[in-house]
Amino acid sequence: METVLKIQSIKKAYRIGKILVPALRDITFEVSEGEFLTIFGPSGSGKSTLLHLIGCLDRPDAGEILIEGVNVLRLSDDRLAELRLNKIGFVFQFFNLLPKISALRNVELPLAITGMPEKESIERAKEMLALMGLETRMHHRPSEISGGEQQRVAMARALINNPKIVLADEPTGNLDTKTGWEIVQLMKKLNREKKQTFIVVTHDPHIAETADRIVYLKDGLIETIKEATRSN
Amino acid sequence: MKAGRILATAWENLTQRKLRASLTTLGVVIGITAIIGLASLGEGFRLEIRERMQQGFELDILIVIPGSFTTGLGEFTPDEISRVRSVAGAAFTTALMTLPKARLSNEDSEPVNALTVAGVNISELAQMLPERLTPIEGVMPSPEENDTVVLGYKACFLNGTTRLVNVGENVTMQIGTPPLSINRTRRVAAILGKSGTSGITNFDYWAFIPTNMTIDVMQGEEAYNIILVKVSDVEQSEQVAQNIEAVFENPYFISILVPLAFMRQVDRILNIVQIFLMAVASISLLVAGIGIMNIMSVSVMERTREIGILKAIGAKSRMVLAMFLSEAVLIGILGGLIGTLTGYGLSFALSYVLSNFIQPQQSVTFGTSDTERMSIDPVFSFEWTIIAFIFSIIVCIIFGLYPARKASKLNPVDALRYE
Ligand SMILES: Nc1ncnc2c1ncn2[C@@H]1O[C@H](COP(=O)(O)OP(=O)(O)OP(=O)(O)O)[C@@H](O)[C@H]1O
Ligand SMILES: [Mg+2]
Repeated sequence: METVLKIQSIKKAYRIGKILVPALRDITFEVSEGEFLTIFGPSGSGKSTLLHLIGCLDRPDAGEILIEGVNVLRLSDDRLAELRLNKIGFVFQFFNLLPKISALRNVELPLAITGMPEKESIERAKEMLALMGLETRMHHRPSEISGGEQQRVAMARALINNPKIVLADEPTGNLDTKTGWEIVQLMKKLNREKKQTFIVVTHDPHIAETADRIVYLKDGLIETIKEATRSN
Repeated sequence: MKAGRILATAWENLTQRKLRASLTTLGVVIGITAIIGLASLGEGFRLEIRERMQQGFELDILIVIPGSFTTGLGEFTPDEISRVRSVAGAAFTTALMTLPKARLSNEDSEPVNALTVAGVNISELAQMLPERLTPIEGVMPSPEENDTVVLGYKACFLNGTTRLVNVGENVTMQIGTPPLSINRTRRVAAILGKSGTSGITNFDYWAFIPTNMTIDVMQGEEAYNIILVKVSDVEQSEQVAQNIEAVFENPYFISILVPLAFMRQVDRILNIVQIFLMAVASISLLVAGIGIMNIMSVSVMERTREIGILKAIGAKSRMVLAMFLSEAVLIGILGGLIGTLTGYGLSFALSYVLSNFIQPQQSVTFGTSDTERMSIDPVFSFEWTIIAFIFSIIVCIIFGLYPARKASKLNPVDALRYE
């Protein structure tokens, strides 16, 4: 299968006052198209940092990131924004929905940014929400729906532009086990049906186990990369 | 994102914080109100002053005197006068001989009233200044009937109320300082109406006698010392003045008063005053701008997370900038619109108050007074409305730019992390 993402010895440190705190020390791995990958590791191991770098939300101190063969670190901020808009969908641990607008508007937002006519974008957002089983909730604001529903809205927003890569940072972290499991099943289903690549950060071993491969992260380094123990 | 969509979003964001948005807009409204109000009242004031000055001045009459206005030396020869008469652009010319330090008396009284006795061709002068030389008693003498006196309105009074002479009676003029003074007693042919206190000369204290009588008093000397020239086109006043100067061998020998130039100068001064007023008014708009900057900075801070989300899902810096600037522009448009309306409203209200409740002091000269009411009509100007409107938007953009740029420059990860 084709390589969709290539991470080449990236390093990232945060500066707190005068001290440099290394978050990622030397990370190298590849992800194939259509793969379902989980990143697993203890708190503070650098999972979120890594996902932000893959999602082009931040730039590493050293190393290379290639998305579909393009070295994204050479791109300008505007090109990176375009990449985020068209190639990457991001699902956050704390949903990060805009609180003052409806679920429908939240999902439609990435399409609006592309400049799509409103009529068309609303239509597509409705379809996407229906796919997530949220037909009855689309006119509610995020504060008026449950956590699981919010996470599904966030997912709908991440998927609306049909991205090549979907990144999720502990998407179940704020949900109960049952709801969390439903979200994971939804992602697995989309991964199978739409052949989108998923990279999911989690510290739930059960969720990690459902992946094709698991990247074990510790202290900013990859401990091991494990192939799936059981076929899905 | 499409521009229309950005504007709509900006509008939504504003309406979500109604109080804040209205207070910020209020600042702009006050600024624009001050600018529009002062501009329209100021222009009305200028027009009023110009109109009054045109009433007081004979704008189309140039006054030529020998020497300068301060020294006033010398006189014109009949030859020079006839050359001035034929100058291009001069429609009508007449010359005067004034004899200062004259006193009038009737048969019983002591000589009173220091005034000017002027030798004139009275019908020429009346033709030139018909409004100032209208008899209220008697009739103007014809040039041939050259042995009478025409008195200015105030010259025929002994004091404030008692008449010195009436039409048909004799008046004695004591010209010059005794013992070298010359006395002449003549019949009063006419008494003139008030010529007003404003203007180039006030004829109210003057006595007009025929020129040949003046020549006689001056022992045969024909010493004209004022030439009045009516120009055919007021706008050409300065050109005509130059033509007149060219008539004289030595142009330093004469001075010409050009009322139009004076008017222009006053106009220029009023202009400066108005610009000053507008500048003062603009300060309030500046204050409003700082208010916008303040509120928008707070807003950017509060919405840091929102900005982070927008950037994370693919919004470019430019879009974030446009979103925040649109809010500033909307405030500018709204404030400009309302401010223009209230500005004109205010100026009309003020002019109503001025013209209905405030009256100028009565002038205390001689009973009858000009109790004209002050009336300043505000002037509506389409140009200023547009300028003020654009100014309001520009100020909002300038002051909104800093916070908007700050918002657009946020790093998405940092913005998302912000609590
Ligand atoms: N903005 C930041 N400034 C300073 N230090 C940071 C910043 N972000 C992360 N770090 C540090 O970098 C390291 C990795 O952080 P990161 O958020 O990637 O961990 P994580 O694996 O996602 O942890 P968690 O499971 O708790 O979310 C940690 O030591 C953290 O304190
Ligand atoms: Mg994390």
